[in-house]
Amino acid sequence: MTDWLGMTPRPVAPRAELRAAVLARARGAGRRPRWAAATALVAVVLLVVAGAWWAGVSLQRLGGRVRALETRLAAAQDTMRLLRGPGTRVVQVPVRTAGRLGSVTLFADTVAGRWYVACENLAANRPDEAYQLWFATDAGMVTAALMPMDRSEPMWMALGIPAGVARVTGAAMSIEPRRGSPSPTGPMLFRLNL
Amino acid sequence: MTYSNRLSQEAERSLLERLRAREAAALGELYDQLAPWVLGLARRILDDPAEADEVLSDVFVQIWEHIDRHDARRGALTPWVLSIARTRALDALRRRRRWWRKAERWGEAHLAEDGGTLSPPDPGEAGVPGWPVHQEVHAALAGLPEEQRRVVVLAYFEGLTHSEIARRTDQPLGTVKTRLRIAHAKLAEGLKHLKDWRR
Repeated sequence: MTDWLGMTPRPVAPRAELRAAVLARARGAGRRPRWAAATALVAVVLLVVAGAWWAGVSLQRLGGRVRALETRLAAAQDTMRLLRGPGTRVVQVPVRTAGRLGSVTLFADTVAGRWYVACENLAANRPDEAYQLWFATDAGMVTAALMPMDRSEPMWMALGIPAGVARVTGAAMSIEPRRGSPSPTGPMLFRLNL
Repeated sequence: MTYSNRLSQEAERSLLERLRAREAAALGELYDQLAPWVLGLARRILDDPAEADEVLSDVFVQIWEHIDRHDARRGALTPWVLSIARTRALDALRRRRRWWRKAERWGEAHLAEDGGTLSPPDPGEAGVPGWPVHQEVHAALAGLPEEQRRVVVLAYFEGLTHSEIARRTDQPLGTVKTRLRIAHAKLAEGLKHLKDWRR
């Protein structure tokens, strides 16, 4: 009931020009929230879509990264199994290349027929040359790996003795043409018997 | 007593429906009906024509934006609009730095106007929609004893709390509350027909 007290003061006629201004402002303000709501809705939808896209891309990237790490972990575990294997022999050979002393370490699993080879401090090859590793067998030299090195940096690899190769009795490394050679032709860096 | 210038119940219902349907012309009609009263109330509270104009504008923005909040079962449109106007004007009043000094000055200046003898209307004033209601409300307020009218005016037009009124009038808080309760009861009785009408 007290709200009727608002009619106690005498009425005051608004200035004539006020009517249009007040009504225009009121109607404008009334429309704003609808526009604002629509704009906000669009913004939210865009945000959600962008967020979903970003999440999808991130998940995909993370999934790829996880798979890559799993592969590397499996390889590392496989290498560890080879290194700890009861039939594995370890041979380290000092190698001098271009006046530099390096080494080739060979982990040879004679039971499983797998090798793990680590090369340290070998000199970089000339552009037309590459290092080539050989399986020494009863039937002669069989290529094991071609290792072109443009920079002097550590290198390691796991090798499997191909099926059909005669009994492997040792290993050798030589410098061969860049494309490799079916049999050793270049300077022999080392040859050893296992 | 005739109410030819007041919004009839049916006209008000129609106006409300059109406002809710976002009919711009309806807002114009409401403005024509109530703007003089909103402005009169705002000027009474603020005593500042420019600020009162801003309040008038704010009130109609709020009406247009929030017409859905008006519950016809709880009261007519006019007192709802006036309550918005009062709240807006008091908000503006409270924002002023020298609120107390001005409020005291206005309180004294307007006390007689709010409850004194109603002077004859200016030319055209009686034609303002709602003028008969104004006369009734004014008469109901004027009919209160001075001490009750004073606390009502301080509470309604100055927005003072009970404690503030007690300090201002140098009366115990209990006395203020009692006077307000009695005054409201008398106003409710005196303006009962308005309540009946809006139902």
